[in-house]
Amino acid sequence: MRRNHQIPLGAIVKGLALTAGHFFRNMRIHVAHLFGRRLQEKGMVTFQYPEERRPFSPRLRTRHRLTMRADGSPRCVACMMCETICPANCIYITAGEHPDPHIEKQPLKFDIDLGVCVFCGFCVEVCPEDAIRMDTGILEFAAYSRQEMILTMDKLLMKEGAQEPDRALMKENA
Amino acid sequence: MTEIVITMGKIAFVLFCVFNLLYVLLWLERKQSAVMQDRIGANRADIFGLRAWGLFHPIADAIKMICKEDFMPAAADKFVYTAAPFLAVFFSLVGFAVIPFGDTLTLGGHTIHLQIADLNVGLLYVFAMLSLGVYGFILAGWASNNNFAFLGGMRAGSQMISYEITMGATVMGLVILFQTLSLNQMVQAQGEYFFGFIPKWGVLLQPLGFLLFLIAGIAETKRIPFDLPEGESEIIGYFVEYSGMKFGMFMMTDFIETILLSAMLTTLFFGGWQIPYLHADGFHLGGLRLAINPVLVSFLQVAAFGLKVFCFCWLLLLIRWTLPRFRYDQLMALGWKFMLPLSLLNLAITGLVVLL
Amino acid sequence: MPKITIDDKEISVEGGTNIIAAAQRLGIEVPHYCYHPGLSVAGACRMCLVEIEKMPKLQTGCSTLATEGMVIKTIAHSAKAKAAVQGVLELTLINHPLDCPVCDQAGECGLQDYYMKYGLYNSRMRDAKVKKEKKASALGPHVMLDQERCILCSRCVRFTHEITKTNEIGIFNRGDHSYIDVVNGRSLENNYSGNVVDICPVGALTDRDFRFQCRVWYLQESDSICPGCSTGCNIKIHFNVRRRHIAGGRRVQRLKPRFNEAVNQWWMCDEGRYAYPSIDENRITTPSARLAAAHQRMDWRDAIDQMALALREALAAYGPESVGVIASPQLTNEDLYLIKKLFVDVLGIAAVDYRMPPNRSAKNDDFLLRADRNPNTLGAHLIGLSPFGKEISTPRILEAAAGGRLQVLYVFSTDLVAVYGEAPIANMAAHVPLMIYQGTNHNRTSTLAHLVLPAAIYAEKNGTFTNYAGRVQHLKPAFAPLAEAMPDWKILCKLAQALGHDFRYADEEAIFEELANSQPAFAGITYAGIGSHGWPIEKERVLSFVTA
Ligand code: SF4
Ligand code: SF4
Ligand code: SF4
Ligand code: SF4
Repeated sequence: MRRNHQIPLGAIVKGLALTAGHFFRNMRIHVAHLFGRRLQEKGMVTFQYPEERRPFSPRLRTRHRLTMRADGSPRCVACMMCETICPANCIYITAGEHPDPHIEKQPLKFDIDLGVCVFCGFCVEVCPEDAIRMDTGILEFAAYSRQEMILTMDKLLMKEGAQEPDRALMKENA
Repeated sequence: MTEIVITMGKIAFVLFCVFNLLYVLLWLERKQSAVMQDRIGANRADIFGLRAWGLFHPIADAIKMICKEDFMPAAADKFVYTAAPFLAVFFSLVGFAVIPFGDTLTLGGHTIHLQIADLNVGLLYVFAMLSLGVYGFILAGWASNNNFAFLGGMRAGSQMISYEITMGATVMGLVILFQTLSLNQMVQAQGEYFFGFIPKWGVLLQPLGFLLFLIAGIAETKRIPFDLPEGESEIIGYFVEYSGMKFGMFMMTDFIETILLSAMLTTLFFGGWQIPYLHADGFHLGGLRLAINPVLVSFLQVAAFGLKVFCFCWLLLLIRWTLPRFRYDQLMALGWKFMLPLSLLNLAITGLVVLL
Repeated sequence: MPKITIDDKEISVEGGTNIIAAAQRLGIEVPHYCYHPGLSVAGACRMCLVEIEKMPKLQTGCSTLATEGMVIKTIAHSAKAKAAVQGVLELTLINHPLDCPVCDQAGECGLQDYYMKYGLYNSRMRDAKVKKEKKASALGPHVMLDQERCILCSRCVRFTHEITKTNEIGIFNRGDHSYIDVVNGRSLENNYSGNVVDICPVGALTDRDFRFQCRVWYLQESDSICPGCSTGCNIKIHFNVRRRHIAGGRRVQRLKPRFNEAVNQWWMCDEGRYAYPSIDENRITTPSARLAAAHQRMDWRDAIDQMALALREALAAYGPESVGVIASPQLTNEDLYLIKKLFVDVLGIAAVDYRMPPNRSAKNDDFLLRADRNPNTLGAHLIGLSPFGKEISTPRILEAAAGGRLQVLYVFSTDLVAVYGEAPIANMAAHVPLMIYQGTNHNRTSTLAHLVLPAAIYAEKNGTFTNYAGRVQHLKPAFAPLAEAMPDWKILCKLAQALGHDFRYADEEAIFEELANSQPAFAGITYAGIGSHGWPIEKERVLSFVTA
């Protein structure tokens, strides 16, 4: 009998003991949970997404947003630094005159194509006005069409109806 | 007339239990593996928001399979292609006919044997049915008119034949010891004791036989670690062309065979429906006696049988979710060069001991 | 010729050359804001300070003329000069707003460039910036002023004094209260106002037309010739074809003058500068045929076949007199040469002309703009497309058409309706079985034509124009023709081939070679010889052809 035909019986038993051990330990915890006991222990390592989420690092780059001035208009002055730096070429800005001559320039359209974005965060890094951030905590933006993947200015400004950044999810890094 | 009604009732009861256990196994397959692996397992299917720990997933599976396109390869042999999954399910189910799931129950003057058919060659019958089951797989592979499916069917055939020999040789030891082929009589025989108090279960008489039978049995069910005929994501096998409920039937076959194997292991090696020290009239141990209603005794025995089967199912799942797959040459070597000689040795020693 | 040494390099320059210009010839940069070679020297910005041996103080490079034996060190070699220039720059920036993100000049701004090179980077200012009266406001129809960004170099003031002599702009007040504005509430309105945007080294004067349209670093540029008049100003086309969402997908964003001492120096007129929208707007994009009232798009192949068939039948049945061709001085020499070769030389058609009755309202101004608003009139003439000498035959051709004596009328890029009015041309179109309009943009004449062919516009063309003074100038294509448009010469080649004549040219240069070999006026000229500044045909030669 060649060596590689040998059946490692010992290892098989060891393996079965290991998995059975996990089974009984976890079952004990699950059953205890049913009676409201040992709640601080977890019978699994999985998170029940989407009800239960992992805490994000505060530095995590999530969906973009445009910050606003006090009056709710975008802080963005359409300088197109972000559009320029974007390695995916997925920011599309159309600039226009701002009614206030001291602000001068504003975006008339500001679209980000999330279907193309690589989440590098360069746009945030480069913005001279702190007008764009990736701190919304929104990670779910799957859509049924490419068109729906394009965020328009309204969505980016997160005006009413839009999801607010969930700061509670962003646990401070120890 | 009443005989027929009673028999039909027994058949219905057995099928009811088997299918329910099948359902539970489908659920357990997911949940047990999850718990073993520190996960939670499927728990999303719900009925009006009630999730019941994922108990509804098998229903969802069934709905999915029934609704799926029933695909048939253009060049397939239509009749055989359709018949194959039915053959597989059929032969795995009929094995249960000779499994005794209790002693006798006396109800309203009728004495009912808790076994569908007490064939005096019950053991042979089970083996015969298991062997016929192979046709389901080989024909599925052949009728698909697909080289890969055909090869898968061939692998299934050769694997099952190889391990049936070991299985057969192993149980011969028990046959020699119990001097019978009737499963009921075997269970009855296991109701005796060594030294008056150690149950004379098959596993104690034939520990090596039990191990060999267990391994060969797993190989018969074609599940991991012996899933070479068809290995879910990696190995293209005999039912590659099957879809929808026809595929579902092959999947069911695997689970029914698992249950059948558990039932066989229980019957042959773990005393069947026997509960140690529990007899028809109550509890005996040494001088201790406790009278129990015979109907309750029957009920306890049936429950004990069910529990034993369930425990074996659990063990089989544990093995399935722990071990990695064998290589095909390892599979063959294990069957022919390791298990067969050992089972023959076991047989020889048993024969020798009985003779002396 | 004084011989001077700048940064250890020697050079002889003509007397009267200042140090900035001399250094430039050596490839040495002397930073400056107010000095402009086209304007008088002001010495206002103090950025061009250099160290000159035996002079105790630093001198300005703009106002110091080279004299024999001068040894000069620029800021690259003189720490003293560098410290001074850095100080000047710091001073200039004291009140300069942080406008770069919203400033159209960003990316081509003198302040940004010099700051990156010579800036001190860390601001030492503690006081608040002086804010000027006005934020961006319009100075005139084309120019926007932002007083805060102005560095008071006075280039714009000198431009309106010296070049246009219109004196609209002035500097008011003194010290850090000084500001630029228009004089007496006037408006900066002259045909050269766009040039102040070019010369303003910062974003104080910006283009209203270009405002917020496109960041300058998105632009690509390509050398071309303005087709607006027979001066043929040298220009650069600034275009953007990579980011299609900018300015609604318009390709050309602006035109800028390109220096050519002999033609337009640093300048160009507003009429030419702001004529670029026609490159992208209202273009003819596909061949089409008029069926009843509407035009139906068609394949190039079908269009060429239809033309060839009509021409062949007309020539066979009625002879060459039944075909008329109206060429256009908007076309390049190459296109015109092929028109002459195909229609006059090969098909023997006499009714070929390119001239329209002169537009009396168009006048020469006394600077660049000329009354003849076509870039290649002289070229067409020198190629020999004026068969009847001084007499313009276009009206006769149209008369023949209206009288039903023409079977095919082929019009190139000429809006006949604009010249003759709607009714006569419509009447004429009704009497010609096939009127072909081959041009760049839709107009009322193309609407009347039976067959409309899309031609490439000048920005999409490779070729040459001959300006009024006989200078042959080269225009290069900035980008590919829009949609299905094709350069005229390619269409002509296809037509000639469909008629059974083997017109095959690898490119425009091959056509020009043939032209130079066959037309004495162009003898000896090559693309390489034309280069980026043009090739002047000697005056005597031009005159001899014009009078002949
Ligand atoms: S994160 Fe990167 S890729 Fe995405 S929009 Fe910003 S710059 Fe572009
Ligand atoms: S970089 Fe900032 S200010 Fe500039 S366009 Fe982008 S978001 Fe707007
Ligand atoms: S003029 Fe130049 S430095 Fe000033 S804001 Fe504009 S780009 Fe910036
Ligand atoms: S507006 Fe421009 S050109 Fe005129 S003085 Fe100011 S900086 Fe110079």
